[in-house]
Amino acid sequence: MGEVAAKMKVMPETIETDLNELKEKLRAAVPAGVEVYGEIVEEPVAFGLKALIVTIIVGDQEGGTEAVEEAFANVPGAENVQILELGRL
Amino acid sequence: MAAEKPHLNLAVIGHIDHGKSTLVGRLMYEAGAVPAHVIEKYKAEAKEKGKESFAFAWVMDSLKEERERGITIDIAHKRFDTAKYYFTVVDCPGHRDFVKNMITGASQADAAILVVAAPDGVMAQTREHIFLSRTLGINQLIVAVNKMDAANYSEERYKEVVAQVSELLKMIGFKPKDIPFIPTSAFEGDNITKASENTPWYKGPVIMQALDDLKMPEKPDTLPLRIPVEDAYTISGIGTVPVGRVETGVMKKGDKVIFMPSGVEGEVKSIEMHHEEIPQAVPGDNIGWNVRGIGKSDVRRGDVCGLVSNPPTVADEFVGQIVVLQHPSAITAGYTPVFHAHTSQTACQLISLDKKLDPKSGQVKEENPTFIKAGDAAIVTIKPTKPMVMEPVKEIPQLGRFAIRDMGMTIAAGMCMSVKQK
Repeated sequence: MGEVAAKMKVMPETIETDLNELKEKLRAAVPAGVEVYGEIVEEPVAFGLKALIVTIIVGDQEGGTEAVEEAFANVPGAENVQILELGRL
Repeated sequence: MAAEKPHLNLAVIGHIDHGKSTLVGRLMYEAGAVPAHVIEKYKAEAKEKGKESFAFAWVMDSLKEERERGITIDIAHKRFDTAKYYFTVVDCPGHRDFVKNMITGASQADAAILVVAAPDGVMAQTREHIFLSRTLGINQLIVAVNKMDAANYSEERYKEVVAQVSELLKMIGFKPKDIPFIPTSAFEGDNITKASENTPWYKGPVIMQALDDLKMPEKPDTLPLRIPVEDAYTISGIGTVPVGRVETGVMKKGDKVIFMPSGVEGEVKSIEMHHEEIPQAVPGDNIGWNVRGIGKSDVRRGDVCGLVSNPPTVADEFVGQIVVLQHPSAITAGYTPVFHAHTSQTACQLISLDKKLDPKSGQVKEENPTFIKAGDAAIVTIKPTKPMVMEPVKEIPQLGRFAIRDMGMTIAAGMCMSVKQK
């Protein structure tokens, strides 16, 4: 079974949310079997608001990106999680 | 920097182990999209060992090794250039649970290469992926009859596979005569950049030529404005700022906009992208926009922004064509799973099963079936449990697709055929 890379966008709850703290919490929340690839990158959106871009690697198997989306969405300070790009490695 | 070539998103689809990844690797390699340092490393090693024939496999291994060591930066994004276009390639995952991402994700494919291994012919996933690509609105297709090396480059076998695949495509609404069927070996490199000596009987285009022959899809900026809201923020000194990606249409500063289903209206005061103010936003732009006259609690994720003069459609009911990907038992009228469409997640009830379609042919197999199950395609009538925006796929394709989820699984994928407005 192959692996799938997914680029995810995590939006903070408010513009005041501490992004460094959020990055650490996201890393700590990664479920078993999922790998965060490289750095979590801050991407400017608008009016001072920034999104976090996280690249993850998951198995090409049942559940897909569900577990990691759910885990990230439950992290305090994360407002919503979206998959931007995805493909087999 | 030279002017960018026009861009196309390319999906590579097909049954598992039919050579999708090898084909993607081969395209990257032939198009010169493999990093220079990997090629340099290869040349050095090949010289040392005195053999050059293993080039392709070696390069693929090196890229995998780089990735494992964390050197390759952007692994989710593969791109290569042909003479005419630059392509972003999505090597589609095999498991059905990723279908949701393909539907609600940002990068809608403009064209697809369907890979069918010559020794096997049409397999279960070949069929499923052809159906899905239609649902996903992919109208341009190239078929690679792959692994020709494992079929002795037999013209006879090629013709058999072409006939099989054509039959399937015709039933789903593709026109096989407009689609190139190219005999390839992604591993050996046959008919990728130049006509292969192994297939002297084949006179059609090679893969790279077929890619250049693709047409640019119609630009979505001529469609009505639709921006699904990802979220809304309160920013001090500015006001309420919804954020999202423009799917269709153009939004300019000063436009009167409306958010549906909330129904709140306001005037666009300013638009920013990457923290810079822009006078107008076009499809593909990830923006935040400040609207005079609305509060943060007036707008939420799942709302869709459009012009007051042409507001997003709120569906009381809609008719959808769906493909059931997996379900442990049978689906009957009354079933109420969660529909994922644009940024909304809304529980919707299947109020009637109208027609069951033959997945092999696309023809109506049964009127008003009592149940449908995995593998079936059907026309169903759907009623959202609370107001949601849905557009017919023929009018605004970007807002007319959905994935159906239940029990942590992607049950089905579908598209909206018509809407009964609220």
